[in-house]
Amino acid sequence: MKKDHKNPEGVVAVVGGGIAGMRAAMDLAEAGLQVYLIERDASLGGRVAQLGYMFPTHDCVLCRGSSDNGYGCTRPAISPAFMDNNQHPNIEIMTRTEIADASGQAGDFTLTLRHEPRYIDADLCTNCGLCAIACPHRMPSEFQESLVTRMAIHKSAPRTLPDAYFIDKGDYCEGCYRCQDVCPTDAINLDAEPWEETISFSAIILALGYKLSDPLELAEYGYGRYPNVVHSMQYERYVSRSGPTEGLVLRPSDNTSPKRIAWLQCIGSRDQDHPYCSSICCMYATKEAILAKERLDGVHCQVFMMDARAFNKEYNAYFHRSYEKYGVEYTRCRISELSEDPKTNDLIVHYPDPENNQKMTESRFDMVVLSVGVRPPGGAEIVSQELGFDLNEYGFCQTDKFNPLESSQPGIYVCGAFSEPKEIAETLIDAAGAAGDVMCLFHNQLGKSPYSREHPFLSEGGEFPPEKDVEGQPPRVGVFVCRCYPSMEGIIDIDRVCEQAASYPNVAHAEDVGYGCFTEGQEAIKAAIQEHDLNRVVIAGCSHRTHESLFQRTVREAGLNSYLMEMVNIRGFCAWVHPHQPEKATRKAMEMIRVGAARASTLQPIHKSTIAPSSRALVLGGGVSGMTTALAIADSGFDVTLIEREDALGGNLLKIHFLVEGDNPGQLLRDLVNRVHVHERITIHTRSELVKHSGQAGAYHAVIQHRNGTETQIPHAVAVVATGGQETRVNQYLLGKHPNVLTHLEFEDALVYRLEELTDLKSVVMIQCVRPEGIEHDYCSRICCTSTMKNAIRLKAINPNCQITVLYKDIITYGFREQYYTEARERGVVFVRYSDDAKPVVESPNGKLQVHIQDHMLNRPMLIEPNLIALSTAIAPSQGTQKLALLLDIPLSDEGFFLEAHIKMRPMDFMKEGIFVCGIAHYPKFIEESISQALAAAGRATTFLSKQPYHYGGVVAEIDPDKCVGCLTCVRTCPFSIPHVKADLNGVGDLGGAAYIDPAFCHGCGTCAGECPANAIQLKNYTDQQIMVPEQSALGSWITV
Amino acid sequence: MNEKIFEPELTAFTCIYCGYMAADTASSLRVEYPANVKLVKLPCTGKIDIRYILEAFEKGADGVYVVACPIGNCHHVKGNVRAQARVKHAKYLLEEVGLDSERLDIFYMSGGQGVAYADAAKEMTERVKALGPNPLKKNARG
Repeated sequence: MKKDHKNPEGVVAVVGGGIAGMRAAMDLAEAGLQVYLIERDASLGGRVAQLGYMFPTHDCVLCRGSSDNGYGCTRPAISPAFMDNNQHPNIEIMTRTEIADASGQAGDFTLTLRHEPRYIDADLCTNCGLCAIACPHRMPSEFQESLVTRMAIHKSAPRTLPDAYFIDKGDYCEGCYRCQDVCPTDAINLDAEPWEETISFSAIILALGYKLSDPLELAEYGYGRYPNVVHSMQYERYVSRSGPTEGLVLRPSDNTSPKRIAWLQCIGSRDQDHPYCSSICCMYATKEAILAKERLDGVHCQVFMMDARAFNKEYNAYFHRSYEKYGVEYTRCRISELSEDPKTNDLIVHYPDPENNQKMTESRFDMVVLSVGVRPPGGAEIVSQELGFDLNEYGFCQTDKFNPLESSQPGIYVCGAFSEPKEIAETLIDAAGAAGDVMCLFHNQLGKSPYSREHPFLSEGGEFPPEKDVEGQPPRVGVFVCRCYPSMEGIIDIDRVCEQAASYPNVAHAEDVGYGCFTEGQEAIKAAIQEHDLNRVVIAGCSHRTHESLFQRTVREAGLNSYLMEMVNIRGFCAWVHPHQPEKATRKAMEMIRVGAARASTLQPIHKSTIAPSSRALVLGGGVSGMTTALAIADSGFDVTLIEREDALGGNLLKIHFLVEGDNPGQLLRDLVNRVHVHERITIHTRSELVKHSGQAGAYHAVIQHRNGTETQIPHAVAVVATGGQETRVNQYLLGKHPNVLTHLEFEDALVYRLEELTDLKSVVMIQCVRPEGIEHDYCSRICCTSTMKNAIRLKAINPNCQITVLYKDIITYGFREQYYTEARERGVVFVRYSDDAKPVVESPNGKLQVHIQDHMLNRPMLIEPNLIALSTAIAPSQGTQKLALLLDIPLSDEGFFLEAHIKMRPMDFMKEGIFVCGIAHYPKFIEESISQALAAAGRATTFLSKQPYHYGGVVAEIDPDKCVGCLTCVRTCPFSIPHVKADLNGVGDLGGAAYIDPAFCHGCGTCAGECPANAIQLKNYTDQQIMVPEQSALGSWITV
Repeated sequence: MNEKIFEPELTAFTCIYCGYMAADTASSLRVEYPANVKLVKLPCTGKIDIRYILEAFEKGADGVYVVACPIGNCHHVKGNVRAQARVKHAKYLLEEVGLDSERLDIFYMSGGQGVAYADAAKEMTERVKALGPNPLKKNARG
């Protein structure tokens, strides 16, 4: 399906098909722009496809939208729209493709793309797997990190996107043509040649991802020499349910269960050659250790780390759980030596024991996992030269503090780990943000490449004939049995199956088709629907997971509603898994088709509802996030109302005077405020607060109260919450009692406005992680350590003789911020660790400050007499956050910040459709991170605003109020808090009040329907009648043959 | 032919996420298991209704089981926990009417676990074989 791309305006190239690229492509496509998704490998998904679990939720990544198991969430996540039979009409996927040449500039790039052949036509591949059986060439599997082998002709995983085999010729395939000989559909052409094509693009988004540090470079850790030293991605494959052992961790030398496992942190990070922090390793090691504890009885897990960098939402609680609940041990040191016992292949770790005055200690382990770091992606230099953008000193894409998603080349954007090591949620924020950036640029093209979500599958819209009315007609079921030659040959007796199917109740027609998924098969099915006047269809072939969209489209093309089709997977569930019991397999196929036909005769058409969204967005909060979001939405061509509680716009940015990177925050503030004020599409209400909010996505209604008591009504389609946070005040360490105890913001103020007072300071103590009383949940505020570095470096610069002592628990200078930690130490700042059991004590006898602390290296008490103390107090959500959460009906996290729809996969969305979050309202973050998320929220909002119309509903639960007794069971049971009792509905006995499920919000899981004691709830397409079909005994005994 | 060997007829309910995906993975990997199970797909195992389980037994299924996402990993947050509770209650009801509650079970697995899916089918088939046919079968149609 090649697109006409003569007019490059609004056509975007997304380079890299990992989650960042998939997310960015999806958002752009949904906003009505054309996207080419260019991936070097043979399938989408990137690194995330290899991960079994995400920290800290332990969601398996499988159904959350990765290529490995590409089904993804039906509603929110990224992947269903990438499935072969449900591809987004605005996305063209190119695999095994690289940029060979580039020219042009923003708005008009020309890329020459080089396509390596897959050798197998994905459109013809039926995944029968005969080629892989015939292939004689084994090689290590990259997907399984060389833990097992694969054939030269293969799929990286059972399910990939695109869902087809391919050949990696490499040095292994000698071209024996055996695969080509056995392929039943002539899909293989071993003589295919690479080819190039030239396409024009308006903008480019780089989502190149990262590569792992090579553990072979660090020979001292024994990787490659000692069999039981594995790297972290290998360990991920072991614990992944789709890994070589389906989740069992085994010692490579003898395949036994390890009893003692060690993780070594910072392998290839925070060292001389790679002076940055890879940001993700502390958390993935914690995850891996917890998984070991869950899977292996009595296993000892010990992590050797320098700092515990658990700096994101819920990470701290997760980290605490790992040692409190699971008993993972953390030892704060770098090891000094790793050796092997050659007899047992056990590994001996030598390290200075921090628990024992740094005495050298030996410890024996069955297995050692190297927590390898993040490196710039392979080929980054070549791409940067071709496209003409800069790399930074570490080899990642150079970005600007205030334009974090733009490369140095205008029109080229960057997202994900290619700009800095980062985890999944931040990568997705970046990706949505880069898409948002591009939407501003091509606002006049938004919605120009139409698509439709009218049907359960994606379509271009308006291409189907009118739908036949089947209301009241007796069911006439057509059964189509795919032969899928030779997948079922000799196992399923297709002729007998067809013959039998014709005899089932309501079946008007049964026939076999060669390959239902090929054009001829499709045409045959459509013709038979017309000829036999069928109004229900059963397709007996392969999995609905891969082919449902295709056949839903087929029946729709024949004039039937797409929900009048039922699939029965006889290839997967009968032929492939029962090859040695053909008689029983055939009977099972017959029984499953019988049930399928019974269910089909009960199916009813389902139509979605539509709403035409208004063109206005409401942005709550006028700080850097709110202003950035407002500008991006307005630049994309939609109206924005910006609400700010205070007198002036600016938020926390008003209190920040300088940045550790050297950029000028004042300039950013002036820029944003000026642009917001003059923008013709932005209406600003300062001194105003939200007091009422109602409606549904696309048609929300807000009431704003101004400080003078008047109110304004604002109808809007979407809302963005950007209400920020604040530095807390504490009643500790003499803050507020002694004039020389300051918070870091106050200290920063002094550094700028009262510099002369600081020039003769002799000693300053900075205390990190100061948590206010009453905050139950300890969490990392993320920005304080870097602020401390900033202020310490600034003070050292003006007063080098001042002794600065930083008292800390863990230094969280993640990513490239590590350099400021290094600089602070180089300038002579002293760092002393403290623990929660031995917190520093601050006293002031005679007005002088005294700090008592237990030094953890020397293990003896220390007394410091500083002239000044600066406290890093926690960042808390803004006042009124709880009230706002209630108004908007959105939840808060344990830490009190707004809780997004999914902390990994949907970090800028709420479960409630059409409301988005960004900035510190989500979690404490740096300016550049707030800007990224603000752009992400704007991109998501713009995507929504571009939908004309917006479709909702479909397979959702419906309550029959006449049966509802108002018992609230559904209200309690719903995992998404959707049902609520409506006073204007009448329930059983015409009594006032019955439960109601808003189709715009329902996720269609049916949990409420399964629980409702009055049986008042039915889930469309899965009604009790449709599941049980009691008159045809669908759930009970099998047919006799 | 000798007297017919008892071949159990089982009904398995799966969600369209992990459960069905695990079945698909077993297919892709060609993991063999007994051909005694028919699959009924639900949007989530939270949709399982005790009536569905009882209906299956009433209509002659020799055994019934549910294949759900691992606890904590439900696509719909806690549908599998609901399913667990309903299976537990259905087991109690089965005992009440004199059916062995061993005929009913719930398994948790992730979509990548084709082998685990096959193992569940094997285990249930063997278990129900030992228990013999569903005594309600003679009354059932079909």
